[in-house]
Amino acid sequence: MPEIIDVVEALLFASDTPVEASRIQEVLDLESPAVARELVESLRGRLDAEGRALQVMEVGGGFRLVTRPEIAPWLVKLARSRTRSRLSRPSLETLAIIGYRQPVSRPEVDAIRGVNSDAVLENLLERRMIRIAGRKESPGRPFLYETTREFLVAFGLRDLNDLPKVEGELIVPELAETAAAQLTEPGPEHEETAAAADPAEQDPGSGGDRVPASS
Amino acid sequence: MTTPEATAQTSPPDSGITVRVESFVGPLDLLLHLCRTNEMDLSKLSLRTITDQYLTHLESVRFQDLETAGSFMVMAATLIYLKSKLLLPANPDDPDELLDDEGEMLKRELEERLREYARVKAFGTWLSEREAEQTLIYGRTTAELPPPEDVPLEDLSVHLLQRAMQRLIEDQKRRVPRQVEPNPLSVLERMSEMVELLRSTWSLLFSSVAGPERIRAEWVVTLLALLELVRLGEARARQAELFGEIVIERNAVSVREPARMIEEPPEIDEPRQDEPRPESGESLNA
Repeated sequence: MPEIIDVVEALLFASDTPVEASRIQEVLDLESPAVARELVESLRGRLDAEGRALQVMEVGGGFRLVTRPEIAPWLVKLARSRTRSRLSRPSLETLAIIGYRQPVSRPEVDAIRGVNSDAVLENLLERRMIRIAGRKESPGRPFLYETTREFLVAFGLRDLNDLPKVEGELIVPELAETAAAQLTEPGPEHEETAAAADPAEQDPGSGGDRVPASS
Repeated sequence: MTTPEATAQTSPPDSGITVRVESFVGPLDLLLHLCRTNEMDLSKLSLRTITDQYLTHLESVRFQDLETAGSFMVMAATLIYLKSKLLLPANPDDPDELLDDEGEMLKRELEERLREYARVKAFGTWLSEREAEQTLIYGRTTAELPPPEDVPLEDLSVHLLQRAMQRLIEDQKRRVPRQVEPNPLSVLERMSEMVELLRSTWSLLFSSVAGPERIRAEWVVTLLALLELVRLGEARARQAELFGEIVIERNAVSVREPARMIEEPPEIDEPRQDEPRPESGESLNA
């Protein structure tokens, strides 16, 4: 009989998507997801201690077995290709907006970026970085977009809380000195300017709320 | 036009700017770049400087599409509008108050949008760095496991369904290619072509008449036309070896008028064989 921890390793090895703690619990008949999590952690510890080429990564609400970054040069050689497709700058910026404001409609994204985002959104949908979350009850009933699990996996994020906080971690050097002034700015004025930016988006709360909703 | 303020604060627009606008993803991106190169506080925009530099940039651009061009133009219009307000102070007594209420609001809105965009851009950079880190990590992308018996519906979206549908329709279209067929070849036309050619030359190669592309239909039609001409005594054909080139020669006795032949199908031509000859003689004289 294999050890239970070996089975956990095999589960992570065989799956193409992150395996949730609850799924491990289900497969192994454990009493709680917490036990599954403990098992994964001991597997992680074992792999790290042995200095193996694989590591456990917590990403997209589950666990994956992935190679360590140090191995990358050999894998590149094996693949005979250096190129792994990366997202363009407009795509990354659009993802940034959706990441923080989701669910968000195209007009809102357009207003922040100052350009039409049709093609970019199409591309992100195609790559399954975002998906349609529904329709906004505003004129034209535009689609609402939200990020997907693939997005979290592609960027190595456990969940949306891993995104940097706008006011805290995300420090823009040019903004550093104005940030304080901005925080002390009276609220109503802030809302007024935001509403003026796009009359269609008079949704209270969507203006200032930049903390990602954990869904 | 450059205001004294612009020349004093920054390098002159015509010499200092080397960045092409194409590398900016939008008007806000360009504006942000200008603010940073001028070390400008995003909450205290110097409209004169920024407007002049922005317009200078626009002049050197060829836009790929109308949509993008439009978004840059809208920003240009806003900037020019704001700058025009600076030229007409709302309150002449108070030189500090340069913009009226509407202008002030527009300016604040612009500053807010710029700050927001700066945040988005910084976050985009953060994502880019994370993405770069992730490219060094390899995990399974397709499972060896058989697919689950019940498809998890929560991962499906309208978009994916629509895509799948569209792909199906496109596949259907591809299966029945629309064939563009040339006019059906006619033995008669080919015959008159050959007769025409034989008028100016004594001999022809079969392959040159049938075409080098070796289209089956062409070759069949040409062969039928040749046989018909031989039967009618209009031409002679020689083939020196098996599968070799066929040499077509004008039959020395006569060359018929091809137009005449088209009118009268060769199948029923036999009884009238003598009739066209005088006509063909005429046309040869003419």
